[in-house]
Parts: sequence; C-alpha cells; structure tokens
Amino acid sequence: MNATAECLLRPGNTNCGGCGMSTGLTMLGRALADAGDSCTLVIPACCGIVTAGAYPTTSYGVPTIASTFASSPAVASGVATIRDLNDEPGQVVCWAGDGGTYDIGLATLSAAAERNENIIYICYDNEIYGNTGGQRSSATPAGAKTSTTPSGKREGKKDVMSIMAAHRIPYAATLSVAHPGDFARKIAAALSMSGMRFLLMHSPCPTGWKSEPADSIELVRIAVKSGLFPVYEVFDGVSYRINVEPDGTDPAAYYDRQRRFGAGEIDLDATRRECAERMARLRVLAERFSTD
Amino acid sequence: MIEIRIHGRGGQGGVTLAKLIATSRFLDGLSVQAFGLYAAERSGAPIQAFCRFSAEPITNRNLIYEPDHVIVLDPTLIAPALTSGLKPGGWILLNTPQAPSDFAEEFADYRIATVDATTIARDNGLGTRSMPIVNTALAGSVCRMLGFPLEEMHAALDHLGFQGPNISAATRAHDEALLLDAPRRPDGERLAVPPPGEARGPSIVKGAGAAMPAIKTGAWATEQPRRRQMIPPCNHVCPAGNNVQGFLNALAHDDVDKALDILLRSTPFPSVCGRACPAPCMDVCNRVELDGAVNVRQMERFAGDRGHADVGPDARRSERIAIVGSGPAGLTAAFHLARFGYRVEVFEAADEPGGLLTAGIPEFRLPEDVVAREIRRIVDLGVGIETNRRIDRPSLLYLTRRYDAVLVATGLQKPRELQLGLNGTQAVVQGIDFLDHVHRGDVRVDGEDVVVIGGGNTAMDAARSALRLGAASVRVVYRRTRDEMPAIGEEVDEALEEDIRIDYLTQPIVLHEVPTDGARRLYRLTCRRMEPGEPDESGRRAPLEVPGSDFDLACHRIILALGQSPDVSVFPEGTEVREGAQLLGLLETPVFAVGDLATSEGTVAGAIGSGRRSAVHIHNALSGDSIEITEHADALRDVDEWMDEVAGAGDMKLHLFERQAAVEGGDLPVEVRRSTFDEVHMGLEDTTEAARCMSCGVCNECDVCCTYCPEGMLRRVRHGLEFDYTYCKGCGVCATECPRNVIRMSQLSS
Amino acid sequence: MTVQVVTGNQAAGHALSLAAEANRTARGAACGIYPITPQTEIVEYVAKFPFSKGRVVPVESEHSAMAVSIGASLSGARAFTASSANGLAYMAENVMVAGFYRLPIVMVAVNRTLGPPWNIWADQGDTLMLRDFPWLQFYCETNQEVLDTTLLAFRLAEDARILLPALTCMDAFIVSHTQTETSMPEQDQVDRYLPDLRLPHRMHYDEARTVGGLAWPHEGLSMRLEIDEAMKRTPAVYEACRQAFIDIFGRDPGDTIQPYETDDAETVVVATGTMATTAREVVRKRREAGRKVGLVKLKLFRPFPEERLRDACGSANRIAVLDRNYAAGAGGVFWQDTRAAFQGRRDDLLIQNYLAGLCGGDVTPAVIETILDDLETREAAGEPVWMGIESGEEVTQ
Repeated sequence: MNATAECLLRPGNTNCGGCGMSTGLTMLGRALADAGDSCTLVIPACCGIVTAGAYPTTSYGVPTIASTFASSPAVASGVATIRDLNDEPGQVVCWAGDGGTYDIGLATLSAAAERNENIIYICYDNEIYGNTGGQRSSATPAGAKTSTTPSGKREGKKDVMSIMAAHRIPYAATLSVAHPGDFARKIAAALSMSGMRFLLMHSPCPTGWKSEPADSIELVRIAVKSGLFPVYEVFDGVSYRINVEPDGTDPAAYYDRQRRFGAGEIDLDATRRECAERMARLRVLAERFSTD
Repeated sequence: MIEIRIHGRGGQGGVTLAKLIATSRFLDGLSVQAFGLYAAERSGAPIQAFCRFSAEPITNRNLIYEPDHVIVLDPTLIAPALTSGLKPGGWILLNTPQAPSDFAEEFADYRIATVDATTIARDNGLGTRSMPIVNTALAGSVCRMLGFPLEEMHAALDHLGFQGPNISAATRAHDEALLLDAPRRPDGERLAVPPPGEARGPSIVKGAGAAMPAIKTGAWATEQPRRRQMIPPCNHVCPAGNNVQGFLNALAHDDVDKALDILLRSTPFPSVCGRACPAPCMDVCNRVELDGAVNVRQMERFAGDRGHADVGPDARRSERIAIVGSGPAGLTAAFHLARFGYRVEVFEAADEPGGLLTAGIPEFRLPEDVVAREIRRIVDLGVGIETNRRIDRPSLLYLTRRYDAVLVATGLQKPRELQLGLNGTQAVVQGIDFLDHVHRGDVRVDGEDVVVIGGGNTAMDAARSALRLGAASVRVVYRRTRDEMPAIGEEVDEALEEDIRIDYLTQPIVLHEVPTDGARRLYRLTCRRMEPGEPDESGRRAPLEVPGSDFDLACHRIILALGQSPDVSVFPEGTEVREGAQLLGLLETPVFAVGDLATSEGTVAGAIGSGRRSAVHIHNALSGDSIEITEHADALRDVDEWMDEVAGAGDMKLHLFERQAAVEGGDLPVEVRRSTFDEVHMGLEDTTEAARCMSCGVCNECDVCCTYCPEGMLRRVRHGLEFDYTYCKGCGVCATECPRNVIRMSQLSS
Repeated sequence: MTVQVVTGNQAAGHALSLAAEANRTARGAACGIYPITPQTEIVEYVAKFPFSKGRVVPVESEHSAMAVSIGASLSGARAFTASSANGLAYMAENVMVAGFYRLPIVMVAVNRTLGPPWNIWADQGDTLMLRDFPWLQFYCETNQEVLDTTLLAFRLAEDARILLPALTCMDAFIVSHTQTETSMPEQDQVDRYLPDLRLPHRMHYDEARTVGGLAWPHEGLSMRLEIDEAMKRTPAVYEACRQAFIDIFGRDPGDTIQPYETDDAETVVVATGTMATTAREVVRKRREAGRKVGLVKLKLFRPFPEERLRDACGSANRIAVLDRNYAAGAGGVFWQDTRAAFQGRRDDLLIQNYLAGLCGGDVTPAVIETILDDLETREAAGEPVWMGIESGEEVTQ
C-alpha cells in the first residue's frame, strides 16, 4: 500500500481515547500532506510503536521503523544518510516519548544533534512512562504521583529544550496540540529547513494523568496559557521567539483536573512564581536575541 | 479448581479484580493464580483477565479456556460471545443497572447476577467520569454471588492497599447485587464453541504487512458524539426572519454573493435594513458577554450593497395576486410571491413606491437610490407597481373579483395626536408629514427654534432633518428616560452629537402663541417634569407628573412624533385585522392584512417578516404546499438533531474565543453632518467583522472537532460532519472543544 | 592485487572499505563507528577511505554505531561496523535487532577480554556472549583469513537465501595488531565479487510498512523458524561463495571446518583462531613422531557445523576442545557445542575441555603439548582443565 502522510495515523489504532499523541500524529500528518511532503517514522520503545498494532497490519500510513529504546536518532541518522545519498524525497522523523528523549535516549539525541543530522525529532512529552503503565521520567513534573513516585515526585521537570538549544541546532521549538495553527506552522518551518530539527510536544495522557479523556486539549491549553508549558521556538540555538503569550490563566486549573496531583498537595504559589519566572526569562531572551 | 474469566476495558481494573478475588481466596488458605492477557490494547480497549483458585497446588500455567464463571465489567461488552467456553450452570456477573431477568433468555444456560457497579463507583469517586473504575465494587458482588464472606474481600482489599471509598463500594455492591440462581435451559442444549482461528505465517522479510488494523475501536466507546444544533439568538429575534448566523458565516468566508442569497430568502431589503433596522439581534448577541455584539447591521448593509444574486423566479404560475400598498410589507410579499412564480400587481396611493422607506426615512439615514435599487430588484421579477392608485372599500371589492388573492399592506397611516391647544394650525405638524415634505423639498425651517415631541425614530429623523434644513435650534421633548426611547440608540447618540438637545422626563402640556413684532410667529410650550413610576404593561416605567414643576419653552414650531396607528376604514366595520386572518370572509377570494396594518410592530424588519409570512401563507393556500418558516440556521442540514432551544451565552464556550473588538464603520464628521443630507454612516470596508460571529449553537464548519479528534476519524463530507462510529472511541474531545456546543456526548447502552 | 605488510585490523578495514565502496552502483553504504581498543585501527581505516557513495558516521557509542548501520541497512544500503569486548556488550541490544531484522550487516570483532578487571588482550568471551543472536560467526587465524572472510561474509549475508548479519572475529593483538604479509585485493575484484545489494525487505519512502511492531506468538514463531531455515542453508551457500571467491581472487578463503591430519587420527584437537595455528604445528610435529593425532579448526561457529565436525573427527576416540573463553559455571563454549554434537552418537568418545589462553594468556606449543599429553593418558573425561594455573606463572604476550 502506498504511503500517505494524509492518513499518517489510521483508524483502528489501539491508543487510549483522548490520547494527545494521537492528535499530534494526526496534525503532523496533515501538516506534511499540506506541504506535499511525507516521512519515514523511526519510533523507539514507547506508546508510539505499540500504536502500530499487531503484525502484519499497521496503524501507520507511512513507512515506520521500530528502534530500540535509546536508538531512534541513530537509526534515523542511518536512514537519512541513505536517503540523502540517493537523493530521495521525504523526511525522516523520530517520534519518541519523554522516556526515550529525556532519559534513556538523551545521549543518542545529543550526539545526533551535535552531528546536525538531517532529521526531525519530535518528542511527544506526556511526562510519564505510559507504555509501561505509568512510572516517573525526568519529564514528570514535581508533585505528580506515579507508580515509582507514589507520594509525588520531588524533583522538577528537566528543561530539555534548553539542552537541545544549547546544541545550536537549526531549529528547536515547542508544540501544543491546543494551538493547531502554531503546530502546523512549526512543522512547515521545520520542513523548510535541513539538519537537526527538534520539536517538543506537550502530549496529554488521560490514562497517565488520570484525567477525563475529553479534557485532553483543554489541559494542555491551560498549560500554555498559564505559562506551565511555554510555546516558543529557538533558531540556531541563538534567537528566541515566544509564539503564544500566557494570558494570566491560573495554573491551579491544570492541577485540579488531573488526579495524578494530590488535591491540595501542590504549592500553587511557588508554581505561579515559577511560571512567571519561566516566561520572564524567555521574554528576556526573545527581546535580547530576537529573530528579527 | 474454580476458574473465572473477566471481560473489561483497559483502565477499568479487570486484572486488579482478578487479583482481589485471588487474594481473598489465598487469605482463605487456597492456592491461587491471577493474571491478565497483555497486548497492545490501551485504555478503553476490551481486555480479559483471569483468576483460578483451588485447594490443591495449581500446576496449570495456561490461559483459561473453559471458565466456571464470567465477570463483565462494562455494560457495552455484554454479548453472546462472552459465554465462549463457559461451563453450563456457571455464574455470569454483569455490571449493568438492569435486572438479571432481562438477560434470562440470552444466557439461558447460566446463572446471572447483576449490579450497577458504574453508579456505585461514580458515587464513590472511583476513576474518571468516562472511565469509572468498577473493580472494587464488583469484588463485593463476587462474594455475594459465590457465597464468600464479605469480610474476606475486605481483608483482600486491605491486603492490596485499597481503602475508604473502595471498601464502601465493595460493601454496597455486595448488598445491591441481584441474583438469578438457576440456569433455565436443560443441559445438553448448549451452543457449540467455535474453533480457534488458524495461524497465519508471513514473516518480517516477506513483507511486514501494510494493511490497516482490523480492530474496530468503535466497540470501545461507552459514549458517542452527536450533533445537536440550537437556534442562534439573532435568528430567533430577527423580526424579518433573517438567517443572521447564515449570512454572517458566508461573509466570514468572504462569500458576499452567498450572504446576499441567504438574506434574500427572507428579505428583499438588506441594504435598507442594513441602515434603518434597530437590530434587536445585536441586543441579544452572545458576544456581548465577551467583547461586544457583532455589528450585524453593518454586515447586512455590506452584503446588500456589494453582493450579487439571481432571484429567479423559480417557476411560473397562473394565479394573480393584488397587493395594496408598496411599503416594506407589501413589497416583501410581492417579492416572495413573484419568486414563487405568481403574477403580482401592487397598488400604491402615492406617486412613488416605497411607502415609509421613501417618504418616512430621511436621506442621511437611508439614501433614495438604495431604496430604489432594492425596489428595482422586485420590479425586475415581473412585479407591476401602479402608483397614484388609492384603494378604498369599493375598489378593494373590485380587486377581489379580479385577483386570486389580495393583500392589504397599508401600514400605519394615522398619526397619534397630542392636544396642545393649537393643533391644526401651522404651529403643529405631524412628524411623518414633516418628513414627507422634507423628502419633497417643500418645507423651510431655517432660523426657527424647533421642538420635537416623541422618542422614536420619527422624532429623531424629524429633529435631525430640521437641523439640516437650518433650524436655529432643535430640542426633543420626551416623557420618559433615555432607556425607554424606542429610537435606535446610535441615532440618539448622533442627534446629541449634532447638538440636538433632548429633554427627558418632560411632558408637554399646552401651547400658547406669544405675540411678537417679527414676521415669525412665536409660541410658548408649557411642559411638566416627570419621574419614573412603576413598570406599565409594556415593561417600561410609567412616567408620573412632578407637581409644581411646569416650565416654558419658546419655539417657532412643534413637530409631533408620537407614533401612528392603522387606518382600517377600507375594511367593513368590525373586521378583525390581524396577520394570517382571512378578511371579507363572504368572498371566495382570500384577502389578508399584512405588515404594520396587521401587527402594528412599527419596524421595517417587522413589516418584512410579516410580508414574507403572508406570502408563504398565500402560496401554501393556493398551491397546497406546506412550506414552513423556521428560525433554524440552514448551514448544516445533516445534523443528528435540532433542538428547539435558543443558544444562550451559557451554551457557548466563550473561553475558546479570542477577544476582538467590533469593527465600527466610519461616520461623516459632525460639523459636515449638520448641513447636509448625505448619508451619515459610511459602511464597512471588508468582511472582517463577520468573522466575529460565534455561530451560537450552529455548526459553522470551523472544523475544530476534526482538528482535535485524536483518531482523525471525523471527516467533513460536503456540508456535514461524518463521525465514523466504527472507529470512534468516544473520548469526547470533539464535544469539549466544540466552541458552540453543537457536539454533545450521549451515553451508549449495551 | 598486491601483497603488503599490514595488521589484522588494516586487513579488516581494507575489506570493509572495498566492500562498501563496491555498492556505489546501488544504494551506497554507511556505518556508525566508535573506537575501542584493540579495534580502533579498523574504524580509523574506514574513516579515511574516500567513499564515492558512502558515509561514515562517527557516533557517541557502540549502541548507536550499530543503530546507524541498522538504519542504513533497512534503507537498502551496505552497512557494517566493528567493535570489541565491552563495546560489544554495550552494543548487544542493537546487535540482536540487526539479526531479527534480517539485515546483512557485517561486523568485524576483535576478541578481547570482557572486564573488569581491565584487560585488553585476547579472549573470545565477548563475541561468544552474542552466540544466541541470529548472527553468523566466523573465527579467523590470520590477517589474510580476516580479510577474505570479511569479503565473503558480505556475499553470504546478502544472499537472498540467508539475509543474516555476520561477525568476523580475530584474536586481539595476536591478529589485530600483528603486521604480516597480506594479499590486498583491488576494488575491481571486489566489485566483481560483491554484486549490488538488493535487500528484498528494505524500506521504501512511499510504502506504508511497519517493521518491528508487535507480533503475536504464531507470527513471531514463524519468523524464528525462518531464521533457523536460513541458518541451515548457510553451509551450502557458504560453499558457493567460497568457490566464487576462489574464481575471482585465486585464493581459498577456507572451509567452514578445516581438518588437518584427521584421517586416521585417534586423538583430535578442536581449536579456533590463532590457537589453531599453534595446535597445527604441534600436530605436525607429533605426526612426524608417528603419533596418530589430528586437528579440526572451527572457522564457522554459527550456525554450528555439527555434522561436518563429526565427520572431520572421523574415528578418533579422544577429543580435546580448546576454549579461549569461559562461560561462567559451564566451561568453554566450543566444548559445550562439541559435546552436544556427539551426544547420543558416539558415547565411547572422550571429549575433554581445556580452557587455554583466557584473559590474554599466551597459548604456546608447550601448552598444546601439555594438553595432548593429558588427553592421551586420560581414563575418562573430567571437569574442564584450566591451563596456565598449575604452573603458577601468568604469561602474557
């Protein structure tokens, strides 16, 4: 069957209802199709590869390679190398969870970034090891209860965007499925470049977050509008642009609607301060090192 | 050994239920096993879990193929297949609010237990709304069903770390379980178990398949999205019956011609109403709650002025229809009847058509050429307009013999009087007469001090016309407050800008002439201050006189603008004149009153609405058709359901809309305005404003649902949304994200 | 073709480079490389090679080196890499994946002791650790054999009847760093020997296909069975590749099993790698003294040439298996497989294990003599004998 990015994620996949990764894949497929482009997916161990479903069928409408947990950027390097040696079209896209990105695959990702491999790396960050049933990762936010942090994680979330920007790769950007226009524009921007392009997508996970599936988009919208998850982009690791300014939404709404956070156990004042500081820091960068 | 198979959905806790049962048996001294069957399925997918316990050590490490009992965690999974391999006489425990007897026939070989574990779990706050965790409740029912002491399950719950609400849920489900304790079909009549499927053998080299998964994930859904459209408030209140949401949506897509086409389905006067309508739609616009009403009036003007549309007629019919009066009601009826294909003649007493539109609304608000253009569109449909033809009672009877139907649309012609003592002299003129003279250009007020009495549009129009004709001063006297003024708010604002003074809560009492030496005759109008009292039947606060508050105003002219009433002298005495009622009942030919004559609404839009309704009424009567006029938008016909409710602000997800101020059109500068009859409002330059319409309760094909659907299974098919229920998992994202509440989730039963 | 004095590593690097370059007329070649003593010279060699359609990707770990090669191979390119010891252990996860993906990747491994303790000298425990993965494994005793076997491995691995990755192994330093005369082929010869790679299951950018997702037991089982079938076809396909090699290069890359003086031997030594060279010399001398002794060199270890081994041992009644490796708690790996090959067929046969040259110990002729003396005087087979312990002298090269 011929590959079409248009139907990148096919019906009949076994992802949970309300899965943010599913929405992200659908948006990615549309953005690729709109650009007349397509892709080969390289997916490490994560929900994303289980999405493919049982052999010999597949839920992916594009060529898809399962890699080992830490290896997707390295496998993608090999695939992209041969594509380029043969002047073939199409993107090579790593589609990896936060475990494969922030944790086990970070060295591999860093190396591929340092080599400026001609690939697009998208991390769908649901802040948990979802595929294994909900353990903490270094993307899990402070306070979240997981099966390995039963009384709430003490440490905060790793700032993987800063790490990736520090590699001075051509493009690093965050994506929110609650901002589809920005999402599509950034995919288009990434498609127009070559070299390493890193995209971090906040991916709601009703199962892991213990939230209503129907609230998925609303939750990540609150994350953006409150400054919990800034939507911005970094060019060449140097110039910054904030794409969606928070509108003063209180992050409390984010915590209240997810049972992974114990009621009343989050220091909301501290969280509000952190949101403000996070955005203030980015605004300084965007002003001092603007894209204009 | 007892073996139990559990059917559930990922996330409901089936494996944990198996562990709970096993643990309770283990604490009772038995050898136990509990395990799941793990694969790619995720939250919501049908899953199986197993449990076995025995007094002897268990050496069986295989799946359970012939269970003694079956437990079903989700009502939507209740199907004949779940008895596969189940030993006759075994228990089937179903999570359902139904009674066991409801399943007696379907599962005749087995004993049946039911419990509404979903409600129990929700009541105890276990799981999420869409995915309640029912395992601990069902554990209680299992004890009841299999005759184990509930205390043993409590111990097992405690052993596995379950507390509080889980214990309560188990206890309640134990007590509330309903049992049907004997199978009903004699042994030996059991259905054969289908053989397992054959193994296939392709390989990674021969070509990992490219086919789509065979899983129909629609089977996971416990809820499904349905579209239910409501009535937009603007459509609901529009006196003309315009599909406001519809034409705004067309403009939002920059389709001006389509916008005009939608408007012409109800009104032949979009350019007129786009200038002269009080726009009640803007008062009820839900956007007021966010950042101000959509500027509907200006958008209607834009569509009327700039759009092009082919109006037909659609057919040719032989019936002839006479219409008396060429005001907005008569011409609207003529327009629609002509579009139906009827031969229409309009009889107008004045020397030009248009009625109030030409004679009653001044140029600076409604330029003549605008009215002329919209009347020409009606004439071009083949409507004949005979001017200088006043119809009296005998000539009306004559018409009824010549025509198949007659409509009388003579409007409100009798102005209300206020006896001031000098009525009938040149000191006091009626507003509509004054405006007619202004239109004809044969009235002079230059240098005069003019007092206008009234608070409606005629008052404002007369006052502002007098100003433009060079009056030295113009003041309006109104007995109530600004809030009660029936005039369009903007017109009042503009009058004030133009230095017209308005005396609120002022009641004119009497007029006296004041002797002077000059050529002009001077008068003294004695007025009395009023104060607002209790609300009257119109809901407005009735003015009460303030004793001893009289004062005088000097003036050269009084213009009375207190409204008009219908002139029904054309009809026989005692005729009840109302819309839709057939008059002159003795004759075969139906005669109808239409517009202000029948309704006294007093607005152009109301007259248009009445004209259209009457046209449809006559058409239905003559042709046997049964066309209905509805307030529903027609953007999306293929909906699951229309709700007969108006979408209020509470029905809208206002937080999903960006704030954006309304686009206001430019006006002529005040200093220019005072001396010219040029149009005050200059209109809008583009359709940007239309995009502010939130399309309340009506799908406007924003496609947010398609964008966010995690499955990508929502597809746009022409002007409908197709939900692919074969694959829809029922997550509800589309419903949460639909900004206009068109998509709602509905619960599926088993 | 010129004879040059090069190290085993350079011979391997030359073979890998020429093989990769030969695929320039098809989809090219790529590899991920990562240094580790004593393999480093190999990756340095390929990094310097001026490929006309190839790319050497210098990655951050052995794990990624194999991952890059997997990506390239899945894309239909010729792919290879090289590693050693702990590097192989770190790479192991992706080594396994290459096999299960049926990718004809060729890897040269320099057999080095797994640490700790830190030890860079010869020991086969590293590649034998990977023995249960779907890889072909060859053990070579000379620079020439390393070069020839590496070239042959590409042709064999890429054969549509096989489609399995291949490991070419050499002893650390004894081969890898020893300069000796080696016949270095020209590019045009290699071009003729290695046809364009046409990987039947390669990924196409316009074909919706998923590799490596979930498979149910019966699907996984049939994939395993196909690997077993390919393994079974290997000796015959190897022979065809060997004959083609002889035709083009005029030199025999060697049989999968190489018997020496075994026809009437009563005692046979089974050995691999450079130990086989030493053992052959000892056997030759003992033959001169009229002793009925022979040698079987195992070149192919996976698939294990069970039947050929039985045939080669003929009517011998005593076999010494030399293992430069130790499978903890179970003796030497070659011994285990040799015993299994005779199990139920020659119950009269005495098969004794000698663990020799472990952790880089030097296996001298004297060591082999000691072994043969021990074997010839044995009443019955016993526990594996640890060589180099009794003497109390630890000898390294």
